[in-house]
Amino acid sequence: MSGAALAFEEISHHFGAGAERVDVLDRVSFDVPAGSVACVVGPSGCGKSTLLSLAAGLARPSAGTVRWDGREVRLGPNLDLGMAFQQPGLFPWLTVRQNVAIGLRTRGKAKAEALAVADEFLATVGLSEFLQAYPSQLSGGMAQRVGIARALALHPRLLLMDEPFAAVDAFTRIKLQQELKALLKRYAPTVVFVTHDVSEAIVLGDVIVAMTKRPAAVQRIIPVARQDRDRSSPAYATKLAEALACLGVTPESGGE
Amino acid sequence: MSAGVWRDRVVLPLAGVVLVALVWQGIVALYRLPVVVLPEPWAVARTLAGLLPTAAFWRDVGVSVFEFAAGYSAGVVLGVGAGLLLGESRTFRLTASPVIEALRFIVPFAWIPLTVLWFGTSYTGKIVLVAYAVFFVMTVSTTRSIMQVDPTLTRVGTMLGMGRAALAFSVHLRAAAPAIASAARAAAAVGWIAVVAAEYIGASAGLGVMITNAATSLQTATVIAGMIAMGLIGAAVSAAVGWLARSRLDYR
Repeated sequence: MSGAALAFEEISHHFGAGAERVDVLDRVSFDVPAGSVACVVGPSGCGKSTLLSLAAGLARPSAGTVRWDGREVRLGPNLDLGMAFQQPGLFPWLTVRQNVAIGLRTRGKAKAEALAVADEFLATVGLSEFLQAYPSQLSGGMAQRVGIARALALHPRLLLMDEPFAAVDAFTRIKLQQELKALLKRYAPTVVFVTHDVSEAIVLGDVIVAMTKRPAAVQRIIPVARQDRDRSSPAYATKLAEALACLGVTPESGGE
Repeated sequence: MSAGVWRDRVVLPLAGVVLVALVWQGIVALYRLPVVVLPEPWAVARTLAGLLPTAAFWRDVGVSVFEFAAGYSAGVVLGVGAGLLLGESRTFRLTASPVIEALRFIVPFAWIPLTVLWFGTSYTGKIVLVAYAVFFVMTVSTTRSIMQVDPTLTRVGTMLGMGRAALAFSVHLRAAAPAIASAARAAAAVGWIAVVAAEYIGASAGLGVMITNAATSLQTATVIAGMIAMGLIGAAVSAAVGWLARSRLDYR
């Protein structure tokens, strides 16, 4: 199953009310065409995660509409969806493989099949030796990889990823980026990938959506071409500089 | 057993018991208390040993344990059910909270006259009373632990495709299970206390009845022996519930 189009239409969102009201999103509009990858970058705390929650139907926007496959996203489960959270939120009473399999069970897969798919995706993220481990026995990076496997194993048409590689070491991170690219090519889901790593956004994204600081609005949408993704090419360096400048950093001073 | 385990498991706990017995013995000797007021610990131990082989003693123990078990099971099931509903539904919570808050501060003992009036000295009255006492402990702590479940788990469950019912049973109740299990252990103590207290006032059999009967005929050693039996059984019940809860529910 390949993806469908996701559209953010004039999304504004705030938390709290009165004097404690915090505006997080300010009339955010952009489209993610079916089967494409949008990487959202922006200063931390700018509302990127909120944007994903709204797309996932985990919260309702204060104003505006999110459309998935032409229909308005409502609160509640969406069986097209797979999401990797920043805090992986593994169920502590289930083993690693049960954590990955449970979503497939919810979607009606037989137990044996669900476990087989779980094992396959846990192998992809390099956790074959931890199938029977409990979440409390994992490091932060390993838990995050289980969260990624859990989202991918659903074969989602809409894949939302909230800084999924944040707690993963640099070496594993590059390996996971490559694995993810291969999987995206195979299943062609529609993807929104939140990161604060601009180089990661260039490698994975078809477009980079650069956000302003809170309340976040879309600052610029930067298309990424195939030749921009080669980390050793001048095009990559130019694209990196362009994206970073957009976020108000010059490459010399920017860490990430 | 190594020397350390021997010391921690046997010598020190035994020393505590011996110390209490010695102080008790000292008080009896110092004030020359008559046996009706406070018999010597040795006499109480002999009385308890004398009770153990009698059928009457075990019948009383059986009645109390039965009343406890029936009331406790009902109270836990109903309490966890109500707590889950209160934790999941805002509407239900707002409707039921005032009633529950008011009732839970009416201690179980305040109901004893009414239960005697309604159920006489039958088992039913005691069972209802224990269920009542246990119900509120379980309801309040289940509600609290359901509401304290990490919201990330709810988001994950929704993402995985779970509706409200699946979230409630497969995620919230499961995540709250260890906290509910500790509450169940605390509730066992409350329930046991309620059973014996109810028997003091309106019952025809049970440990409480045995103790009050002994007291009216001034058999103080039997009164104290009964009290000790009550304490030991209560501790055993609480330990059993704790063990059951840990082995079945605790994933930490």
